[in-house]
Amino acid sequence: MSSATIAPTDELVVALRGTGALRPRVDRGLAGGLRAWLDDGVFERVGVPLPGAIRVATRDVAGAPRSGGPAAMLRGALVAQLLRLHVAGCVPADPFDGAAAALAASGRDDALTALLAELDAEDRAQLAAEVAAHAAVLVDRLPLVPSRWSPRVGVRHQVPIAGGGVVLHGQIDLTLGEPGGTTACVCLLDVTTSVLEARHEEGLEHLALLATLRCGEPPLRVAALSTADGAAVVRDVDATMLADAVDRVLRAVDVLVAR
Amino acid sequence: MSTVRRLRSPAPSAIVDLLCAPPEAAPPATARLAEVLAARLVATPRAAPSRLDAFVAEYGAARFATAFRWSAKAARRPLGTGALRRLVAGTSRELLGAAREEVDATCDRAQRGLARRGALGTWLAAAPAEVRALCAVEAATWAWGLCHLVDYDAHAGRLAVGVPDAWFDVPGGRTTLHGRRDAMSAGVAGGLLRLRDGAPGVRAHDGLLVDGLVAAISGSAPCAPTRVVGAWPDAGVVLGVELDADTVRRAARVVVACAATFVPAAAPSAAPVLAA
Repeated sequence: MSSATIAPTDELVVALRGTGALRPRVDRGLAGGLRAWLDDGVFERVGVPLPGAIRVATRDVAGAPRSGGPAAMLRGALVAQLLRLHVAGCVPADPFDGAAAALAASGRDDALTALLAELDAEDRAQLAAEVAAHAAVLVDRLPLVPSRWSPRVGVRHQVPIAGGGVVLHGQIDLTLGEPGGTTACVCLLDVTTSVLEARHEEGLEHLALLATLRCGEPPLRVAALSTADGAAVVRDVDATMLADAVDRVLRAVDVLVAR
Repeated sequence: MSTVRRLRSPAPSAIVDLLCAPPEAAPPATARLAEVLAARLVATPRAAPSRLDAFVAEYGAARFATAFRWSAKAARRPLGTGALRRLVAGTSRELLGAAREEVDATCDRAQRGLARRGALGTWLAAAPAEVRALCAVEAATWAWGLCHLVDYDAHAGRLAVGVPDAWFDVPGGRTTLHGRRDAMSAGVAGGLLRLRDGAPGVRAHDGLLVDGLVAAISGSAPCAPTRVVGAWPDAGVVLGVELDADTVRRAARVVVACAATFVPAAAPSAAPVLAA
Protein backbone atom coordinates (compact mmCIF):
# COMPACT_ATOMS: atom_id res chain seq x y z
CA MET A 1 0.00 0.00 0.00
CA SER A 2 1.32 3.41 -0.83
CA SER A 3 0.89 6.29 1.54
CA ALA A 4 2.34 9.72 1.09
CA THR A 5 2.39 12.67 3.40
CA ILE A 6 2.36 15.79 1.31
CA ALA A 7 4.53 18.69 2.35
CA PRO A 8 2.81 22.06 2.47
CA THR A 9 4.64 23.10 -0.67
CA ASP A 10 3.56 20.10 -2.75
CA GLU A 11 0.55 20.16 -5.01
CA LEU A 12 -2.22 18.22 -3.29
CA VAL A 13 -4.50 17.77 -6.28
CA VAL A 14 -1.63 16.58 -8.46
CA ALA A 15 -0.74 13.94 -5.86
CA LEU A 16 -4.38 12.96 -5.52
CA ARG A 17 -5.22 12.67 -9.20
CA GLY A 18 -1.82 11.37 -10.34
CA THR A 19 -0.99 10.59 -13.93
CA GLY A 20 -3.86 9.26 -16.01
CA ALA A 21 -1.73 6.68 -17.81
CA LEU A 22 -0.58 5.12 -14.52
CA ARG A 23 -4.01 4.52 -13.02
CA PRO A 24 -4.90 0.89 -12.29
CA ARG A 25 -7.80 -0.95 -13.86
CA VAL A 26 -11.01 -0.91 -11.87
CA ASP A 27 -11.56 -4.09 -9.86
CA ARG A 28 -15.35 -4.52 -9.82
CA GLY A 29 -15.10 -7.89 -8.10
CA LEU A 30 -13.97 -6.41 -4.80
CA ALA A 31 -17.22 -4.82 -3.63
CA GLY A 32 -19.23 -8.04 -3.62
CA GLY A 33 -16.58 -9.89 -1.65
CA LEU A 34 -16.27 -7.10 0.91
CA ARG A 35 -20.01 -6.97 1.37
CA ALA A 36 -20.21 -10.74 1.85
CA TRP A 37 -17.36 -10.54 4.37
CA LEU A 38 -19.21 -7.83 6.30
CA ASP A 39 -22.51 -9.73 6.16
CA ASP A 40 -20.87 -12.92 7.45
CA GLY A 41 -18.95 -11.04 10.16
CA VAL A 42 -22.09 -9.32 11.44
CA PHE A 43 -24.00 -12.62 11.44
CA GLU A 44 -21.25 -14.32 13.47
CA ARG A 45 -21.34 -11.53 16.04
CA VAL A 46 -24.98 -10.56 16.38
CA GLY A 47 -27.02 -12.92 14.25
CA VAL A 48 -29.71 -11.07 12.33
CA PRO A 49 -30.13 -7.58 13.80
CA LEU A 50 -33.36 -5.67 13.30
CA PRO A 51 -33.33 -3.17 10.42
CA GLY A 52 -31.27 -0.12 11.36
CA ALA A 53 -30.42 -1.53 14.78
CA ILE A 54 -26.69 -0.78 14.55
CA ARG A 55 -25.33 2.46 13.15
CA VAL A 56 -21.61 2.60 12.42
CA ALA A 57 -20.26 6.08 11.72
CA THR A 58 -16.74 7.13 10.81
CA ARG A 59 -16.06 8.14 14.41
CA ASP A 60 -16.97 4.62 15.57
CA VAL A 61 -14.27 3.01 13.45
CA ALA A 62 -11.61 5.70 13.51
CA GLY A 63 -12.08 7.29 16.91
CA ALA A 64 -13.67 10.57 17.83
CA PRO A 65 -11.74 13.84 17.84
CA ARG A 66 -10.73 15.35 21.12
CA SER A 67 -13.65 17.53 22.02
CA GLY A 68 -12.89 21.13 21.23
CA GLY A 69 -16.32 22.21 22.33
CA PRO A 70 -18.92 24.08 20.35
CA ALA A 71 -16.32 26.44 18.89
CA ALA A 72 -14.49 23.56 17.21
CA MET A 73 -17.74 22.19 15.83
CA LEU A 74 -18.66 25.59 14.46
CA ARG A 75 -15.21 26.06 12.97
CA GLY A 76 -15.45 22.69 11.22
CA ALA A 77 -18.92 23.40 9.86
CA LEU A 78 -17.92 26.84 8.60
CA VAL A 79 -14.78 25.55 6.88
CA ALA A 80 -16.88 22.80 5.27
CA GLN A 81 -19.05 25.55 3.79
CA LEU A 82 -15.96 27.41 2.61
CA LEU A 83 -14.85 24.28 0.78
CA ARG A 84 -18.19 24.20 -1.06
CA LEU A 85 -17.90 27.86 -1.98
CA HIS A 86 -14.31 27.29 -3.13
CA VAL A 87 -15.41 24.44 -5.42
CA ALA A 88 -18.20 26.68 -6.75
CA GLY A 89 -15.57 29.29 -7.60
CA CYS A 90 -16.97 31.79 -5.12
CA VAL A 91 -14.48 33.89 -3.17
CA PRO A 92 -16.30 35.55 -0.26
CA ALA A 93 -15.13 39.04 0.60
CA ASP A 94 -15.18 37.99 4.24
CA PRO A 95 -14.69 34.23 4.76
CA PHE A 96 -16.51 34.16 8.09
CA ASP A 97 -19.56 36.09 6.90
CA GLY A 98 -19.71 34.10 3.67
CA ALA A 99 -19.42 30.78 5.46
CA ALA A 100 -21.99 31.82 8.07
CA ALA A 101 -24.47 32.78 5.35
CA ALA A 102 -23.89 29.48 3.58
CA LEU A 103 -24.27 27.53 6.83
CA ALA A 104 -27.56 29.24 7.62
CA ALA A 105 -28.88 28.49 4.13
CA SER A 106 -27.59 24.92 3.95
CA GLY A 107 -30.71 23.42 5.50
CA ARG A 108 -28.64 20.84 7.36
CA ASP A 109 -27.07 22.40 10.42
CA ASP A 110 -29.85 24.35 12.10
CA ALA A 111 -28.51 23.61 15.58
CA LEU A 112 -25.09 24.99 14.68
CA THR A 113 -26.66 28.03 13.02
CA ALA A 114 -28.52 28.73 16.24
CA LEU A 115 -25.30 28.24 18.22
CA LEU A 116 -23.51 30.70 15.95
CA ALA A 117 -26.22 33.29 16.46
CA GLU A 118 -25.86 32.98 20.24
CA LEU A 119 -22.11 33.69 20.31
CA ASP A 120 -21.10 36.89 22.08
CA ALA A 121 -19.05 39.48 20.23
CA GLU A 122 -15.71 38.33 21.64
CA ASP A 123 -16.23 34.64 20.80
CA ARG A 124 -17.55 35.59 17.40
CA ALA A 125 -14.50 37.72 16.62
CA GLN A 126 -12.18 34.93 17.72
CA LEU A 127 -14.04 32.39 15.59
CA ALA A 128 -13.99 34.76 12.61
CA ALA A 129 -10.21 35.10 12.91
CA GLU A 130 -9.78 31.32 13.10
CA VAL A 131 -12.04 30.73 10.10
CA ALA A 132 -10.13 33.35 8.09
CA ALA A 133 -6.86 31.56 8.86
CA HIS A 134 -8.28 28.19 7.85
CA ALA A 135 -9.75 29.72 4.69
CA ALA A 136 -6.33 31.05 3.69
CA VAL A 137 -4.79 27.57 4.07
CA LEU A 138 -7.64 25.94 2.17
CA VAL A 139 -7.34 28.26 -0.80
CA ASP A 140 -3.57 27.96 -0.78
CA ARG A 141 -3.49 24.14 -0.63
CA LEU A 142 -6.45 23.38 -2.87
CA PRO A 143 -6.37 25.07 -6.25
CA LEU A 144 -9.59 25.72 -8.15
CA VAL A 145 -11.02 22.38 -9.26
CA PRO A 146 -11.89 22.18 -12.96
CA SER A 147 -15.48 21.21 -13.72
CA ARG A 148 -14.31 18.38 -15.97
CA TRP A 149 -13.23 16.52 -12.82
CA SER A 150 -16.90 16.37 -11.75
CA PRO A 151 -16.39 17.73 -8.23
CA ARG A 152 -19.11 16.67 -5.80
CA VAL A 153 -19.31 18.20 -2.34
CA GLY A 154 -20.61 16.76 0.92
CA VAL A 155 -21.70 13.42 -0.52
CA ARG A 156 -23.31 11.35 2.22
CA HIS A 157 -23.03 7.59 2.42
CA GLN A 158 -25.51 5.42 4.24
CA VAL A 159 -24.78 1.85 3.23
CA PRO A 160 -26.95 -0.93 4.65
CA ILE A 161 -25.31 -4.31 5.21
CA ALA A 162 -26.50 -7.54 6.81
CA GLY A 163 -29.99 -7.07 5.42
CA GLY A 164 -30.16 -3.51 6.72
CA GLY A 165 -29.42 -4.50 10.32
CA VAL A 166 -26.19 -2.51 10.23
CA VAL A 167 -25.95 0.82 8.44
CA LEU A 168 -22.53 2.30 7.70
CA HIS A 169 -22.45 6.10 7.66
CA GLY A 170 -19.93 8.59 6.40
CA GLN A 171 -19.63 11.85 4.53
CA ILE A 172 -17.02 12.74 1.94
CA ASP A 173 -16.18 16.42 1.74
CA LEU A 174 -15.02 16.41 -1.88
CA THR A 175 -15.19 13.71 -4.52
CA LEU A 176 -13.42 14.04 -7.88
CA GLY A 177 -13.56 11.91 -11.01
CA GLU A 178 -16.28 9.86 -12.64
CA PRO A 179 -16.87 6.21 -11.82
CA GLY A 180 -17.77 3.69 -14.48
CA GLY A 181 -14.61 3.75 -16.61
CA THR A 182 -12.08 1.01 -17.17
CA THR A 183 -9.47 2.66 -14.96
CA ALA A 184 -9.99 3.88 -11.41
CA CYS A 185 -10.17 7.65 -11.27
CA VAL A 186 -12.43 8.58 -8.34
CA CYS A 187 -10.59 10.46 -5.59
CA LEU A 188 -11.92 11.35 -2.16
CA LEU A 189 -10.76 14.29 -0.07
CA ASP A 190 -11.54 14.78 3.60
CA VAL A 191 -10.93 18.28 4.92
CA THR A 192 -10.37 18.67 8.64
CA THR A 193 -9.71 21.71 10.79
CA SER A 194 -7.67 19.72 13.29
CA VAL A 195 -4.07 18.55 12.99
CA LEU A 196 -3.77 15.22 11.16
CA GLU A 197 -3.60 12.16 13.39
CA ALA A 198 -3.67 8.40 12.87
CA ARG A 199 -7.46 8.44 13.17
CA HIS A 200 -7.73 10.53 10.04
CA GLU A 201 -6.03 7.80 7.99
CA GLU A 202 -8.36 5.21 9.51
CA GLY A 203 -11.27 7.46 8.66
CA LEU A 204 -10.05 7.63 5.06
CA GLU A 205 -10.01 3.83 4.91
CA HIS A 206 -13.60 3.77 6.13
CA LEU A 207 -14.67 6.30 3.51
CA ALA A 208 -12.91 4.27 0.80
CA LEU A 209 -14.85 1.20 1.94
CA LEU A 210 -18.15 3.09 1.88
CA ALA A 211 -17.47 4.44 -1.61
CA THR A 212 -16.58 0.94 -2.81
CA LEU A 213 -19.74 -0.60 -1.38
CA ARG A 214 -21.90 2.19 -2.68
CA CYS A 215 -20.59 2.43 -6.25
CA GLY A 216 -19.39 -1.11 -6.73
CA GLU A 217 -15.87 0.00 -7.57
CA PRO A 218 -13.00 1.15 -5.36
CA PRO A 219 -11.81 4.74 -5.60
CA LEU A 220 -8.33 5.48 -6.86
CA ARG A 221 -7.01 7.48 -3.92
CA VAL A 222 -8.13 9.05 -0.68
CA ALA A 223 -6.63 12.10 0.97
CA ALA A 224 -6.99 14.20 4.07
CA LEU A 225 -6.12 17.88 4.26
CA SER A 226 -5.68 19.75 7.50
CA THR A 227 -6.53 23.42 7.26
CA ALA A 228 -4.84 23.91 10.63
CA ASP A 229 -1.35 23.61 9.20
CA GLY A 230 -1.77 22.68 5.54
CA ALA A 231 -0.50 19.12 6.04
CA ALA A 232 -2.03 16.46 3.84
CA VAL A 233 -1.83 12.72 3.45
CA VAL A 234 -2.66 10.85 0.25
CA ARG A 235 -3.15 7.08 0.06
CA ASP A 236 -3.71 4.67 -2.79
CA VAL A 237 -6.77 2.50 -2.33
CA ASP A 238 -6.12 -1.22 -2.64
CA ALA A 239 -7.52 -4.51 -1.42
CA THR A 240 -5.40 -4.47 1.74
CA MET A 241 -6.71 -1.08 2.78
CA LEU A 242 -10.30 -2.15 2.20
CA ALA A 243 -9.78 -5.41 4.11
CA ASP A 244 -8.40 -3.40 7.05
CA ALA A 245 -11.48 -1.18 6.85
CA VAL A 246 -13.80 -4.20 6.96
CA ASP A 247 -11.94 -5.53 9.99
CA ARG A 248 -12.30 -2.17 11.70
CA VAL A 249 -16.04 -2.03 10.99
CA LEU A 250 -16.52 -5.47 12.52
CA ARG A 251 -14.55 -4.45 15.61
CA ALA A 252 -16.72 -1.36 15.88
CA VAL A 253 -19.82 -3.55 15.70
CA ASP A 254 -18.41 -5.58 18.61
CA VAL A 255 -17.97 -2.43 20.66
CA LEU A 256 -21.38 -0.99 19.77
CA VAL A 257 -23.15 -4.23 20.62
CA ALA A 258 -21.30 -4.51 23.94
CA ARG A 259 -22.49 -1.04 25.03
CA MET B 1 -48.46 -9.26 -6.66
CA SER B 2 -45.73 -7.74 -8.78
CA THR B 3 -42.06 -8.46 -8.44
CA VAL B 4 -39.84 -6.06 -6.53
CA ARG B 5 -36.33 -6.10 -7.86
CA ARG B 6 -33.59 -5.06 -5.50
CA LEU B 7 -30.15 -4.22 -6.89
CA ARG B 8 -27.11 -3.43 -4.77
CA SER B 9 -24.41 -1.15 -6.20
CA PRO B 10 -25.70 -1.83 -9.72
CA ALA B 11 -23.76 -0.87 -12.82
CA PRO B 12 -25.38 2.03 -14.71
CA SER B 13 -26.24 -0.28 -17.60
CA ALA B 14 -28.21 -2.54 -15.23
CA ILE B 15 -30.35 0.42 -14.12
CA VAL B 16 -30.91 1.59 -17.69
CA ASP B 17 -31.79 -1.94 -18.78
CA LEU B 18 -34.30 -2.17 -15.94
CA LEU B 19 -35.84 1.15 -16.94
CA CYS B 20 -36.07 0.28 -20.61
CA ALA B 21 -37.00 -3.41 -20.44
CA PRO B 22 -40.42 -4.40 -21.81
CA PRO B 23 -43.16 -4.63 -19.16
CA GLU B 24 -43.92 -7.96 -17.51
CA ALA B 25 -47.68 -7.37 -17.70
CA ALA B 26 -50.05 -5.27 -19.73
CA PRO B 27 -49.85 -1.57 -18.83
CA PRO B 28 -52.63 -0.59 -16.43
CA ALA B 29 -55.74 1.17 -17.67
CA THR B 30 -55.90 4.20 -15.44
CA ALA B 31 -58.82 6.32 -16.67
CA ARG B 32 -61.45 4.60 -14.54
CA LEU B 33 -59.09 4.31 -11.60
CA ALA B 34 -58.39 8.06 -11.73
CA GLU B 35 -62.15 8.76 -11.59
CA VAL B 36 -62.67 6.49 -8.61
CA LEU B 37 -59.62 7.82 -6.83
CA ALA B 38 -60.74 11.41 -7.38
CA ALA B 39 -64.18 10.57 -6.00
CA ARG B 40 -62.64 9.02 -2.89
CA LEU B 41 -60.36 11.98 -2.32
CA VAL B 42 -63.16 14.49 -2.81
CA ALA B 43 -65.24 12.55 -0.31
CA THR B 44 -62.44 12.63 2.26
CA PRO B 45 -62.84 15.82 4.29
CA ARG B 46 -59.41 17.19 4.93
CA ALA B 47 -58.07 20.31 6.48
CA ALA B 48 -54.49 20.37 5.24
CA PRO B 49 -52.30 19.81 3.39
CA SER B 50 -53.67 19.85 -0.10
CA ARG B 51 -50.65 18.16 -1.68
CA LEU B 52 -49.95 14.47 -1.35
CA ASP B 53 -46.87 12.68 -2.60
CA ALA B 54 -44.77 9.57 -2.11
CA PHE B 55 -42.92 11.08 0.84
CA VAL B 56 -46.16 11.62 2.72
CA ALA B 57 -47.21 8.09 1.84
CA GLU B 58 -43.97 6.74 3.30
CA TYR B 59 -43.44 8.96 6.30
CA GLY B 60 -46.88 10.37 7.11
CA ALA B 61 -47.74 13.88 8.10
CA ALA B 62 -44.50 14.53 10.02
CA ARG B 63 -43.05 16.60 7.18
CA PHE B 64 -45.76 19.21 7.75
CA ALA B 65 -44.91 19.63 11.41
CA THR B 66 -42.61 22.52 10.54
CA ALA B 67 -43.20 25.16 7.91
CA PHE B 68 -41.28 24.72 4.67
CA ARG B 69 -38.46 27.10 3.97
CA TRP B 70 -36.00 27.12 1.13
CA SER B 71 -32.45 25.95 1.70
CA ALA B 72 -29.59 24.71 -0.45
CA LYS B 73 -30.69 21.18 0.38
CA ALA B 74 -34.27 21.83 -0.75
CA ALA B 75 -33.19 23.76 -3.84
CA ARG B 76 -30.64 21.31 -5.23
CA ARG B 77 -33.13 19.04 -7.00
CA PRO B 78 -35.13 21.72 -8.89
CA LEU B 79 -31.94 23.58 -9.76
CA GLY B 80 -30.12 20.36 -10.65
CA THR B 81 -32.99 19.32 -12.91
CA GLY B 82 -32.88 22.70 -14.62
CA ALA B 83 -29.12 22.38 -15.05
CA LEU B 84 -29.55 18.96 -16.67
CA ARG B 85 -32.15 20.45 -19.01
CA ARG B 86 -29.63 23.09 -20.07
CA LEU B 87 -26.98 20.46 -20.63
CA VAL B 88 -29.29 18.29 -22.74
CA ALA B 89 -30.43 21.31 -24.75
CA GLY B 90 -26.80 22.18 -25.40
CA THR B 91 -27.04 25.66 -23.92
CA SER B 92 -24.40 24.72 -21.32
CA ARG B 93 -21.37 22.51 -21.73
CA GLU B 94 -20.68 21.39 -18.17
CA LEU B 95 -22.82 20.84 -15.11
CA LEU B 96 -21.42 23.34 -12.64
CA GLY B 97 -21.69 26.08 -15.25
CA ALA B 98 -25.20 24.89 -16.10
CA ALA B 99 -26.16 25.01 -12.43
CA ARG B 100 -24.81 28.56 -12.10
CA GLU B 101 -26.78 29.61 -15.17
CA GLU B 102 -29.91 27.99 -13.77
CA VAL B 103 -29.47 29.89 -10.49
CA ASP B 104 -28.96 33.15 -12.39
CA ALA B 105 -32.00 32.53 -14.60
CA THR B 106 -34.16 31.68 -11.60
CA CYS B 107 -33.08 34.90 -9.87
CA ASP B 108 -33.63 36.88 -13.03
CA ARG B 109 -37.21 35.65 -13.36
CA ALA B 110 -37.90 36.71 -9.78
CA GLN B 111 -36.32 40.11 -10.30
CA ARG B 112 -38.58 40.66 -13.31
CA GLY B 113 -41.59 39.96 -11.12
CA LEU B 114 -42.26 36.53 -12.63
CA ALA B 115 -42.05 34.55 -9.38
CA ARG B 116 -44.56 34.40 -6.59
CA ARG B 117 -43.72 35.15 -2.98
CA GLY B 118 -42.19 32.06 -1.41
CA ALA B 119 -40.89 30.72 -4.73
CA LEU B 120 -37.34 29.46 -5.11
CA GLY B 121 -36.45 32.40 -7.33
CA THR B 122 -37.71 34.94 -4.83
CA TRP B 123 -35.59 33.34 -2.09
CA LEU B 124 -32.50 33.10 -4.29
CA ALA B 125 -32.83 36.66 -5.58
CA ALA B 126 -32.79 37.97 -2.02
CA ALA B 127 -29.91 35.72 -0.92
CA PRO B 128 -26.25 36.76 -0.84
CA ALA B 129 -23.85 35.61 -3.56
CA GLU B 130 -22.40 32.94 -1.25
CA VAL B 131 -25.79 31.28 -0.86
CA ARG B 132 -26.37 31.31 -4.61
CA ALA B 133 -22.93 29.75 -5.15
CA LEU B 134 -23.69 27.10 -2.53
CA CYS B 135 -26.98 26.28 -4.25
CA ALA B 136 -25.20 25.97 -7.61
CA VAL B 137 -22.56 23.56 -6.33
CA GLU B 138 -25.13 21.47 -4.45
CA ALA B 139 -27.36 21.35 -7.53
CA ALA B 140 -24.42 20.28 -9.67
CA THR B 141 -23.51 17.60 -7.11
CA TRP B 142 -27.09 16.28 -7.22
CA ALA B 143 -27.15 16.30 -11.03
CA TRP B 144 -23.76 14.60 -11.21
CA GLY B 145 -25.12 11.91 -8.93
CA LEU B 146 -27.96 11.24 -11.36
CA CYS B 147 -25.69 11.29 -14.42
CA HIS B 148 -23.21 8.89 -12.80
CA LEU B 149 -25.96 6.60 -11.63
CA VAL B 150 -27.17 5.97 -15.17
CA ASP B 151 -23.94 6.88 -17.03
CA TYR B 152 -25.91 9.43 -19.00
CA ASP B 153 -23.12 10.06 -21.51
CA ALA B 154 -23.27 6.42 -22.63
CA HIS B 155 -27.05 6.06 -22.50
CA ALA B 156 -28.24 9.48 -23.65
CA GLY B 157 -30.28 7.95 -26.50
CA ARG B 158 -32.18 5.63 -24.17
CA LEU B 159 -32.96 8.03 -21.33
CA ALA B 160 -34.46 11.44 -20.81
CA VAL B 161 -33.20 13.49 -17.87
CA GLY B 162 -34.35 16.89 -16.66
CA VAL B 163 -37.95 15.74 -17.00
CA PRO B 164 -40.68 17.62 -15.14
CA ASP B 165 -42.50 16.02 -12.22
CA ALA B 166 -46.02 14.64 -12.66
CA TRP B 167 -49.01 16.45 -11.15
CA PHE B 168 -52.65 15.48 -10.89
CA ASP B 169 -55.22 17.97 -9.69
CA VAL B 170 -58.18 16.11 -8.27
CA PRO B 171 -61.25 17.41 -10.13
CA GLY B 172 -63.66 19.07 -7.73
CA GLY B 173 -61.30 18.68 -4.80
CA ARG B 174 -58.62 20.68 -3.04
CA THR B 175 -56.08 17.93 -3.44
CA THR B 176 -53.11 17.80 -5.78
CA LEU B 177 -51.07 14.64 -6.21
CA HIS B 178 -47.36 15.07 -6.91
CA GLY B 179 -45.14 12.40 -8.42
CA ARG B 180 -41.38 12.76 -8.63
CA ARG B 181 -39.58 11.89 -11.85
CA ASP B 182 -35.86 12.32 -12.27
CA ALA B 183 -35.36 10.35 -15.47
CA MET B 184 -37.48 8.35 -17.87
CA SER B 185 -36.83 5.83 -20.57
CA ALA B 186 -36.82 7.60 -23.92
CA GLY B 187 -39.14 5.05 -25.56
CA VAL B 188 -42.90 5.41 -25.84
CA ALA B 189 -43.52 2.97 -22.99
CA GLY B 190 -41.02 2.38 -20.26
CA GLY B 191 -39.98 3.11 -16.74
CA LEU B 192 -39.38 6.18 -14.67
CA LEU B 193 -36.50 6.73 -12.27
CA ARG B 194 -36.69 8.56 -8.97
CA LEU B 195 -33.78 9.45 -6.68
CA ARG B 196 -34.05 9.78 -2.93
CA ASP B 197 -31.59 10.58 -0.12
CA GLY B 198 -30.57 8.07 2.53
CA ALA B 199 -31.64 4.45 2.44
CA PRO B 200 -35.01 2.96 1.53
CA GLY B 201 -37.45 2.82 4.44
CA VAL B 202 -39.92 0.08 5.22
CA ARG B 203 -42.58 1.72 3.02
CA ALA B 204 -40.30 2.53 0.10
CA HIS B 205 -42.28 0.17 -2.13
CA ASP B 206 -45.50 2.12 -1.49
CA GLY B 207 -43.73 5.38 -2.22
CA LEU B 208 -42.53 4.12 -5.58
CA LEU B 209 -46.02 2.96 -6.47
CA VAL B 210 -47.47 6.36 -5.60
CA ASP B 211 -44.96 8.08 -7.88
CA GLY B 212 -45.87 5.62 -10.61
CA LEU B 213 -49.61 6.11 -10.09
CA VAL B 214 -49.37 9.90 -10.30
CA ALA B 215 -47.27 9.67 -13.47
CA ALA B 216 -49.80 7.26 -14.93
CA ILE B 217 -52.91 9.33 -14.24
CA SER B 218 -51.35 12.73 -14.87
CA GLY B 219 -51.46 12.21 -18.62
CA SER B 220 -48.18 14.09 -18.93
CA ALA B 221 -46.52 11.34 -20.99
CA PRO B 222 -47.77 9.59 -24.12
CA CYS B 223 -48.09 6.32 -22.18
CA ALA B 224 -48.35 5.40 -18.53
CA PRO B 225 -45.04 4.20 -17.10
CA THR B 226 -44.77 0.44 -16.90
CA ARG B 227 -42.20 0.35 -14.13
CA VAL B 228 -40.91 2.60 -11.36
CA VAL B 229 -37.28 2.45 -10.38
CA GLY B 230 -36.22 4.06 -7.13
CA ALA B 231 -32.56 4.80 -6.50
CA TRP B 232 -31.00 5.62 -3.15
CA PRO B 233 -27.47 6.59 -4.24
CA ASP B 234 -26.32 7.23 -0.64
CA ALA B 235 -26.97 3.57 0.07
CA GLY B 236 -26.13 2.15 -3.36
CA VAL B 237 -29.58 0.54 -3.45
CA VAL B 238 -32.01 0.41 -6.38
CA LEU B 239 -35.56 -0.96 -6.21
CA GLY B 240 -37.73 -1.62 -9.23
CA VAL B 241 -41.47 -2.32 -9.17
CA GLU B 242 -43.80 -3.13 -12.04
CA LEU B 243 -46.88 -0.99 -12.59
CA ASP B 244 -49.79 -3.23 -13.43
CA ALA B 245 -53.49 -3.30 -12.62
CA ASP B 246 -52.88 -4.67 -9.11
CA THR B 247 -50.09 -2.34 -8.14
CA VAL B 248 -51.74 0.87 -9.34
CA ARG B 249 -54.84 -0.10 -7.37
CA ARG B 250 -52.68 -0.67 -4.33
CA ALA B 251 -51.06 2.75 -4.91
CA ALA B 252 -54.50 4.36 -5.07
CA ARG B 253 -55.42 2.76 -1.73
CA VAL B 254 -52.20 4.09 -0.24
CA VAL B 255 -53.06 7.62 -1.45
CA VAL B 256 -56.55 7.43 0.03
CA ALA B 257 -55.22 6.09 3.31
CA CYS B 258 -52.65 8.84 3.32
CA ALA B 259 -55.32 11.50 2.73
CA ALA B 260 -57.35 10.05 5.56
CA THR B 261 -54.50 10.58 8.02
CA PHE B 262 -55.08 14.30 7.71
CA VAL B 263 -58.75 14.02 8.60
CA PRO B 264 -59.37 15.59 12.03
CA ALA B 265 -62.25 13.25 12.85
CA ALA B 266 -63.52 10.12 11.17
CA ALA B 267 -66.22 10.86 8.63
CA PRO B 268 -68.45 8.34 6.89
CA SER B 269 -67.92 8.08 3.17
CA ALA B 270 -70.28 6.94 0.43
CA ALA B 271 -67.58 7.04 -2.21
CA PRO B 272 -66.92 4.15 -4.62
CA VAL B 273 -64.71 1.31 -3.46
CA LEU B 274 -61.32 1.12 -5.12
CA ALA B 275 -61.03 -2.64 -5.25
CA ALA B 276 -63.96 -2.94 -7.65
